[in-house]
Amino acid sequence: MIRGMVSKVFLLSFILLTAYPFVWMFLSSFKTNREIYSPDRLLPSFFKPDAFQILFSNELFQFNEVLIRSLLLSSGQAFFACLVTAAAGYAIAKGNFRGRNLIFGAAILLVLFPKQAMSLFLFEWMATLGLTGNLYGFILSGVASGLGVIFFTQVFRKVPSELVDLALLEGGGHFGCFLSLIPLLVPALVTYCILHFFLSWQEHLLPLLVLSNDQLTLPLALSKLADSSYRIPEAVGLAAGVVAMLPMLILFGLFFRKIRTALADWVVS
Amino acid sequence: MSGAKAGTGFFSFLPLFGPFVVLWGIFWFIPLFTGLELSLVGGKGSILSTSEVVEIDTIGLANYQSALNDFKFLKSLENTTLFVVGSILITLILGFCLAVVIFRLKRIFHAPYLFLLLIPSLALPGSLAKLFYLFFHGKSGALNQFLIVPLGFEPINWMMNPDWILPCLIFQSVWRWTGLVTLLLYCGMRAIPKWQFEAAALEGAEGGKVIASILFPGVRHLLLFAAVFLMVDGVAAFSGAYNLLGGSGGVLDAGLLFVTYAYQVAFPGGSGRLDLPLAAAMSVLVAVGTACLAYFLLWMNRKEGVAK
Repeated sequence: MIRGMVSKVFLLSFILLTAYPFVWMFLSSFKTNREIYSPDRLLPSFFKPDAFQILFSNELFQFNEVLIRSLLLSSGQAFFACLVTAAAGYAIAKGNFRGRNLIFGAAILLVLFPKQAMSLFLFEWMATLGLTGNLYGFILSGVASGLGVIFFTQVFRKVPSELVDLALLEGGGHFGCFLSLIPLLVPALVTYCILHFFLSWQEHLLPLLVLSNDQLTLPLALSKLADSSYRIPEAVGLAAGVVAMLPMLILFGLFFRKIRTALADWVVS
Repeated sequence: MSGAKAGTGFFSFLPLFGPFVVLWGIFWFIPLFTGLELSLVGGKGSILSTSEVVEIDTIGLANYQSALNDFKFLKSLENTTLFVVGSILITLILGFCLAVVIFRLKRIFHAPYLFLLLIPSLALPGSLAKLFYLFFHGKSGALNQFLIVPLGFEPINWMMNPDWILPCLIFQSVWRWTGLVTLLLYCGMRAIPKWQFEAAALEGAEGGKVIASILFPGVRHLLLFAAVFLMVDGVAAFSGAYNLLGGSGGVLDAGLLFVTYAYQVAFPGGSGRLDLPLAAAMSVLVAVGTACLAYFLLWMNRKEGVAK
């Protein structure tokens, strides 16, 4: 009984620690600097959306463009990463050709090497290819995901071979078979798409190196807003944080059940 | 088998794995070798962007030697190691405890609690840094008001005290990742076959014994997976520290992490050294070292699994 109470208090305290600061962040985006510097104060004196107006009126920089650019880059990367890694996962799981273990090993290497530590090399190479400042180049650079290949390999390993044989009978070869299996894998595809979007959305160092100064993404814009030399009201930075969080909250909120199902299936394999 | 008609050979699958292999080669394999090559040359600047080349010649392992003699690089490695180990241990322990508590609640509460715990993972590291600075940090910040002052201590100036900068970065990382790790471990617990719990109940096992004999072994492989993920992410940590410390290492470099230092060495935005070859040597050392360690952990786990 007491143990049960202690564990519930532990859980609720932790939830308070995770959720309350974000409620505070949202409410503080309506506050003055003076009110913000008193963190024990939750509610603003007035609900004036000045900070959001400053952001969306593009007074500081083209925030609307930054937001749209981040959305396009992350969703572009997530979409193509889903297609490319799911196809590679199918080939590794269902193929019996020489070299498939090598491809799987290549995917594992991608996961094991810290991406940020490789950013410098990628920047050098992209400069050689003339891809710095190129949004398509930036999208392509994040499409080959090791995590995606490992995830989809496990997903396709669970698809019964009889189903694959049946799809192959209809013609179209393995590519056609892969396409015909996609509707069965919607939870896994949605889950990975959201996870990749999430990782791409949070990317900071590579856009800082590879994109030009007029191609800010949200993490770069937030750093700019945090720069004290700009003398920007704190509420503006907090409002940007709220806006940056919204797409993730919406995606995870809408697909949370699917994500849990896919993750549960994946951890079993 | 009908699969034979469609072909099971290399070329039947080429259109499926080809795009991944090509992109892997272009955006990972070639850059890695470019980086290796860069780490072996002298002069400052790029070996590839020829307009910036200044006296390029191969100097062997001299950059590696310079890196290993660089006090700040070693300091950044020490900080990064402490940051990674601290973050992993605390996140895994908290994540496991939270997953156990949620797993034992009525099922209707599982989804909302998991979602609430996940919220910090959904924020940008820059937002977390800002929130940390405005909400937790400071004399009247939550950490001082709810933790330090009630214990009878003087408020701490977290980011100006070198002893506390690294714990602050660890706090940020734990705050960010615990929800995601909890979700992963919870999913692992749900996947444990029901008969194991029924058998344990028949034997009268409950509480700690169920945790030790069923739940912990059931998610052990996921704990290792999460540890590897957190290790690779921790070594690559940049955004949170960059935002919180303004691109520096903080007072006495107490919060200088590896990626921040490599950035400082390589680009004028940092210290102005613009020494790309030295930064490349540092990156090779850390990237290869981390990958080997992560692989070793996974290999040990696999070996243990096979032995069982």
